[in-house]
Amino acid sequence: MERKQPDLVLIVARSFATKLATPTLIIDARGDLVYFNDAAAEVLGSSYLDLGELQASHWQELFAPRTLDEEPMTPEQTPGGIALLERRPVHDSFAFRGLDGREREITVTALPLYSRPDEIVGVMSIFWELPAAP
Amino acid sequence: MIARVWGARGSLSAPGPATVEYGGNTSCVELELADGTTLILDAGSGIRELGQRLLEREHGELHICLTHLHLDHVEGLGFFAPLWRAGWKLRFWGPPSTTATLRERVSRYLSPPLFPIGLSEAPAEAVFEDVPREPWRVGSAVVEAQSVEHRGPTLGYRIEEEGHVLAYLPDHEPYLTAALDDDPQWVSGWALAAGADILFHDSQYTDEEYPQRLGWGHSSVAHAAAFARASQVRQLAMFHHDPMRSDRELEALHDEVAESLHNDQEQPLIAREGLEIALGTDRHRGA
Repeated sequence: MERKQPDLVLIVARSFATKLATPTLIIDARGDLVYFNDAAAEVLGSSYLDLGELQASHWQELFAPRTLDEEPMTPEQTPGGIALLERRPVHDSFAFRGLDGREREITVTALPLYSRPDEIVGVMSIFWELPAAP
Repeated sequence: MIARVWGARGSLSAPGPATVEYGGNTSCVELELADGTTLILDAGSGIRELGQRLLEREHGELHICLTHLHLDHVEGLGFFAPLWRAGWKLRFWGPPSTTATLRERVSRYLSPPLFPIGLSEAPAEAVFEDVPREPWRVGSAVVEAQSVEHRGPTLGYRIEEEGHVLAYLPDHEPYLTAALDDDPQWVSGWALAAGADILFHDSQYTDEEYPQRLGWGHSSVAHAAAFARASQVRQLAMFHHDPMRSDRELEALHDEVAESLHNDQEQPLIAREGLEIALGTDRHRGA
């Protein structure tokens, strides 16, 4: 029996996210998408049940994030990527195309999740859709 | 590996005529490993009597794995005879903390005003270490510790020896982390218990009590059974009995659990003081 499972901090973060009405997305220490809640599904244009867990490169490719000035962003430039690589909280805005084809702009607060002072196990990103420009 | 239960009560010692059959001492399980090493799981009041028996040896080394530092899991230390005898070496393992070492945290109890004598006065050599991230060897066994869902930093343990596995999660509320019939990798403690021969698991509350105690860090018997099913353990030992639970009430809960386990799982046990389980021989011994 394969016994691997995420760290408890990631498990509890996922549990917390399932109960939040605020859009929330969780990546693990490799940057892989491991969960987003129903509120996030509204913004991303697809449910987690439909999309499932995705490797870092795949989910970045799907959403093709870019700056508000329309410059493409690498995974390392997104708030979640910065929080993971630089191990610090990040608050920023960017644009992407949802899986339903609709363009969106969001503001994200990304928090690194530590299980021990020197061990990061993932990042929790909470985000809000910005109102469309008039 | 032989497991002996010295205390299976949760939260508070509960001696008296209503608990005489399963016992009133708080959490303590002794593991006698194949190479003779003694590994002790938790230091509740049950460890007092274990300490008296260990004094049959003049000295030695003991490994004590603490799940967490709530009083019912450390309160026996002040009366654990080997700690108060020179010549003994006690090696403690416990959950890491960002604020204090394990020794400092245990010393909060073993010091005035909570206890008259300080830990620093104990004649035995006491070594305190945070559990390693990876499984580590203790005698002839491999021990694995992981954080599990409970109030405050808390560990569960998995002890494997000669292909047999004992899992120990006395204080655990996995229901808070995921639906227990959900993808098991998102259920707290699952990897520790998966496929174990015997699982000692928190079974503190009735289904009626649980909603009033949601988030207190313990499981209902239904959740304990669901966790045992999800983990596909061979046998569940109900543990951490509520101090208000009488022997007869425990037996009624046992019957509920027995009905809800998979057909290929063995009948559950009610952990009781004196229970002895020899893994690998399929024999439950002791009174």
